[in-house]
Amino acid sequence: MANPGQLVLINAEIDGDLDAAQRAELARTLLADPKARELRDDLRRLCQTLDAVPLVDPPPGLQESILAAMPQMAPPLRRLGDRPAGVTRRYAPAITVWRYAALLAGLLIAGGVMFELVRSPALEPSELAGTIALDPAATLVDSAQIARGPVSGRVSLYRDRAALTLRFEVTASTPIDARVSSEGHILQILAVTRGGGTVSDGGTPGMPAAAALPGVAMHGQDITVTFISDGRRVGSATLRAPAGR
Amino acid sequence: MLRNVEDARDVAQTTFLKAFEHLADYDETRKFYSWLYRIALNESLDTLGARKPFDPISGDEEDKTPGPEQRAEGDQLSRAIDEALARIKPEYRAVITLRHFMHLSYQDMGEILMLPEKTVKSRLYEARQLLREDLLLRGAT
Repeated sequence: MANPGQLVLINAEIDGDLDAAQRAELARTLLADPKARELRDDLRRLCQTLDAVPLVDPPPGLQESILAAMPQMAPPLRRLGDRPAGVTRRYAPAITVWRYAALLAGLLIAGGVMFELVRSPALEPSELAGTIALDPAATLVDSAQIARGPVSGRVSLYRDRAALTLRFEVTASTPIDARVSSEGHILQILAVTRGGGTVSDGGTPGMPAAAALPGVAMHGQDITVTFISDGRRVGSATLRAPAGR
Repeated sequence: MLRNVEDARDVAQTTFLKAFEHLADYDETRKFYSWLYRIALNESLDTLGARKPFDPISGDEEDKTPGPEQRAEGDQLSRAIDEALARIKPEYRAVITLRHFMHLSYQDMGEILMLPEKTVKSRLYEARQLLREDLLLRGAT
């Protein structure tokens, strides 16, 4: 049985939170203790499998039924006069409008949270994106190799002046979509490769597909890319966003 | 989290209606989705708490006969994990959901769960360990 110190180090390694000294300490522990190695392998496999579980979108009609129910409720007028500290009256209406907009955006984006792990044959993405040509001025931030399963190749994260962009250089025998998730923000990219065993050509024939990630933050968080074929997860990769704009 | 389509539908609807009703209480200094997830999580826990102790899980998502493509080793592990998740306490399932499915930071998880980051981490570590032990017990790793 691993001691608590080992457990903390192993879990911190899985979360990518180890500094150099801790990494060295973990390496020494793993070298000396086969049980710790076994624990680490099990936990890593467990977490990789958990990370790769695709989100399942809400059933058709749910968003519409929630939106339809909202206007029938009494709006929260009793508190509209209350203002957060430091906010003057003339800004209050704008904040209220923003709150409503945020709620609707949340409904679209976060709707999947209650439905994950509940199997659904249909994938209806909360937000769709098509593929674009990569800005030549964009700089590479991170990339990951996909070597196992029906999808293989590389997915890379680029950053330009305005946003992050994913570039797909992948091959597969069947058409592949990608689902990108980051801190609750979910984006589905259609046809990152059209299949047939060729490098993806979602945009211009012969060119790798790229897709912008509007709204995805840049503060060093993980961005998970899940590849989907015919409604099934067929691979995944995790990339690290740059820290700070 | 709920492992039941109808409950999830009800909780989703209640979550957004409650958010709408209490929109004026939302603190702009906090992330909006953290607030929304907290409502969703509380609703989910309330729903789970209201279930009878041995309330069976809906047949919709339980024990479907796997198709040929589901027999691969990775899918077997996914399935075993899925079942193991159903057996751990909702508090542990919640941290697994927020971290591994929603890919949230410990800071965000702390906001949602209203717990210090350190507590969130130790709860997540325990949850992972419990899942591993469950899988080992059933020979699923």
